[in-house]
Amino acid sequence: MDTQPAFPVLVCLRLLLAVLPLPGQDLLKHDHQLSSPLTSYLRLNEGLWLLENNINPYTGGAFHHSPLLLSLFSTIVPPLPIIWAVSDAVGAWALLRIWRARQGLSPQKGTRSNAENLIVSVYFLNPYLLLPSLALSTSTFENTLTLLALMFASEGKVSSALLAIAFTVHLTPSSILLLLPILMVLVSSPVSYLASPRPFHGNLKRIPILFGEFTLYWLVLVGAACIMAGGSWDWVRASWGASLALPDLTPNPGLWWYFFTEMFDHFRPFFLMVFSVHLVIYILPICIKFQHDPLYAAFLLVGVLGTFKAYLTLADPGLFLSMISLFPEVHGYLRHPIVTTLLHLHAALLLPLQHVLWVSEGRGNANFYYAASLVMGMAGGAGLVDACWAGMRIAVGDATVWAEEKVDGEKGKGKAIWWEVVQQ
Amino acid sequence: MRFQLLPQACLLLLVCFMTWVVGSLGSTASAGERTADFFGRHDSGSGHTNNWAVLVCASRYWFNYRHMANALGMYRTVKRLGIPDSNIILMLADDVACNARNKFAGSVYAEAGRHLDLYGENIEVDYRGYEVTVENFIRLLTGRVDPSMPRSKRLLTDDRSNIFVYMTGHGGNEFLKFQDQEEISAFDIADAFEQMWQKKRYNEILFMIDTCQANTMYSQCYSPNILATGSSQIEENSYSYENDNDIGVSVIDSYTHYILKFMEGINKTSQTSMQDLFDSYDPVKIYSHPGIRSDLFRRPLDKTLITDFFGGVAQAEVFPLQDIVGSSNHHENDSLPPTSQKPNAPSIPVVSTTTVISPLRLPGETHEWDDWRKEVRKWTSIFVVGCLVSWVSFVR
Repeated sequence: MDTQPAFPVLVCLRLLLAVLPLPGQDLLKHDHQLSSPLTSYLRLNEGLWLLENNINPYTGGAFHHSPLLLSLFSTIVPPLPIIWAVSDAVGAWALLRIWRARQGLSPQKGTRSNAENLIVSVYFLNPYLLLPSLALSTSTFENTLTLLALMFASEGKVSSALLAIAFTVHLTPSSILLLLPILMVLVSSPVSYLASPRPFHGNLKRIPILFGEFTLYWLVLVGAACIMAGGSWDWVRASWGASLALPDLTPNPGLWWYFFTEMFDHFRPFFLMVFSVHLVIYILPICIKFQHDPLYAAFLLVGVLGTFKAYLTLADPGLFLSMISLFPEVHGYLRHPIVTTLLHLHAALLLPLQHVLWVSEGRGNANFYYAASLVMGMAGGAGLVDACWAGMRIAVGDATVWAEEKVDGEKGKGKAIWWEVVQQ
Repeated sequence: MRFQLLPQACLLLLVCFMTWVVGSLGSTASAGERTADFFGRHDSGSGHTNNWAVLVCASRYWFNYRHMANALGMYRTVKRLGIPDSNIILMLADDVACNARNKFAGSVYAEAGRHLDLYGENIEVDYRGYEVTVENFIRLLTGRVDPSMPRSKRLLTDDRSNIFVYMTGHGGNEFLKFQDQEEISAFDIADAFEQMWQKKRYNEILFMIDTCQANTMYSQCYSPNILATGSSQIEENSYSYENDNDIGVSVIDSYTHYILKFMEGINKTSQTSMQDLFDSYDPVKIYSHPGIRSDLFRRPLDKTLITDFFGGVAQAEVFPLQDIVGSSNHHENDSLPPTSQKPNAPSIPVVSTTTVISPLRLPGETHEWDDWRKEVRKWTSIFVVGCLVSWVSFVR
């Protein structure tokens, strides 16, 4: 496959973690930062048990997973931790391949540079990704499928990419945000054009055809899910409807739950619509602004999802943070990476602390945890804004290079003034 | 000589024999009647479907501790025998449990040893303090309450309700003193009951009153279906039963004490009649002559159950399990044969010993989640997805 030393080592370590009995694993499964009602392992097990005992899992209102997960885990494999380890490995492998496609390297060989080791380590060792995976949250599968979709899109494999994104959208409907960038990557290329923006050079006419193919795959998956659910549609309301209607107000690091605990019932539909539309409005502006580099647009939309998703867990900003490693060209142009890092550190420490203070000990209240989730929102927002800025700033270019280029005549006079402007 | 008396002897024997035959025939008829009487005794035939209780303690202040204990003792009995809080209107001044002079704060006891706390944590006082007035009491009974009065403070009875009205406090000849400020007279109560009868607000009323000269309070009633009993007759005081030396005041009145003691032997399924209760009255022990007024009451007292007034009526019908679960549920065991309760008999808890292995399902739900269909569906969906994945990977 590849000759990097880091990848096999980390895969072995991860498999070892999955196989060995860890002391705190039960605590992790119950943790609200690592899994939400839509991704929780406990609820998955409850759905599987209900299925075993001939009860419709969707009548209870506690089970929000897709029927395909039900059928997968009750036929082919039971939900063992090794599956999550394998999924992590596949995700890291996909991330590596995206990197190679973006750099124009061969997918199999790559280079022996440290960059590839770094990318794989950033994925495996990111605590935002590792801990939910150890907590057996199904967000690992969603992240893996997203990365697989981006990988296939970067390598030009049209149908595989569309199938992967169809799977992702089937599991979390919010991932529909990533459809347009993936289509754009498919018709253009994943190679970095951030520094030299140009109008979208792909064949726009192909996009509706690809969208049609995506819809076909998605409908087949919906059909398979309906077959599993026995022809009834209550799984739609339970799994997709949960992201839209927010029936379960279990606290999570996201921004939605507190808002809707204090929402009057007659305002609820309006604000649910506002929050959902808020996610969708980012698609077009980001894709238009970054039409020269749709992979970067996909990255930014992953950041949007990682901050503003309905049932947020740590895995969603985790994916965004790990994907930063794919774009080393913008690292120099980030304005406040230290602020983002510190905010994330702050949030990562505060969230479990305030949760324990509120829920376990009873000395705090919901506002404590809400404040911590606001810090998390700020951290995500800071990272997103910084990434947007850096992606655009790189197009303006290095200040010294600009200054040297403007040597000719009348421009030389304005050079000094321009230099000061650019310096800011 | 002896044979001359033989025809007389034979006649005498014949007469004796005939008498015996007739007598035996007659006694078997009465045995049948006695049997029917014994079984029919438990058909109370009152025709009520729900029970209410209005318990009024009309005095306040620390030294009237026993009136509070009277009312709370009746409250506990009535609740224990099945009337829910929603059907009990408890009117107390409620200034005893948290009184500064109460050594056992938050508790009210009805006997000298302080074994049973009547106040506890689970009582619901509907009218407390200065809300216990004559006007509120009459408005409560007649239903002429302000629209803002909450449901828990209204007497929401209908024409099938049996109401137990218990009043205690200081009284006299045809009056009862309310909280040292005002009085209610026997005429007011009689008129209130008549208004209730006109408005069809009760089926039967048991009116029990424990004050001095209590029997005068029900002397003016004129509405049908009222059974009344009081603790002492005219010109006679009612006395308290005992003091508690640590509380420092009398804790219970005699009449109510003996009634509560009688009630301790009653449970929800008891067949004891009101006649048994009235027979247990002992004027020597109570130190006064309790009275009974049953002329307005249409049923015989020995056929009127105590639980007709003191207990809550609960109907229970047991359906066999086949009626609930769909016919495809083939795991069920035999159920007990259904026992239908006569509507007015006291409820007897029926414990069903069926065990259902597979969980009950709502009727009308389809059988999709059964075994083999479920397996087919699971594998079909996996097969579809697998086909899609392999088609995409290898063909496209």
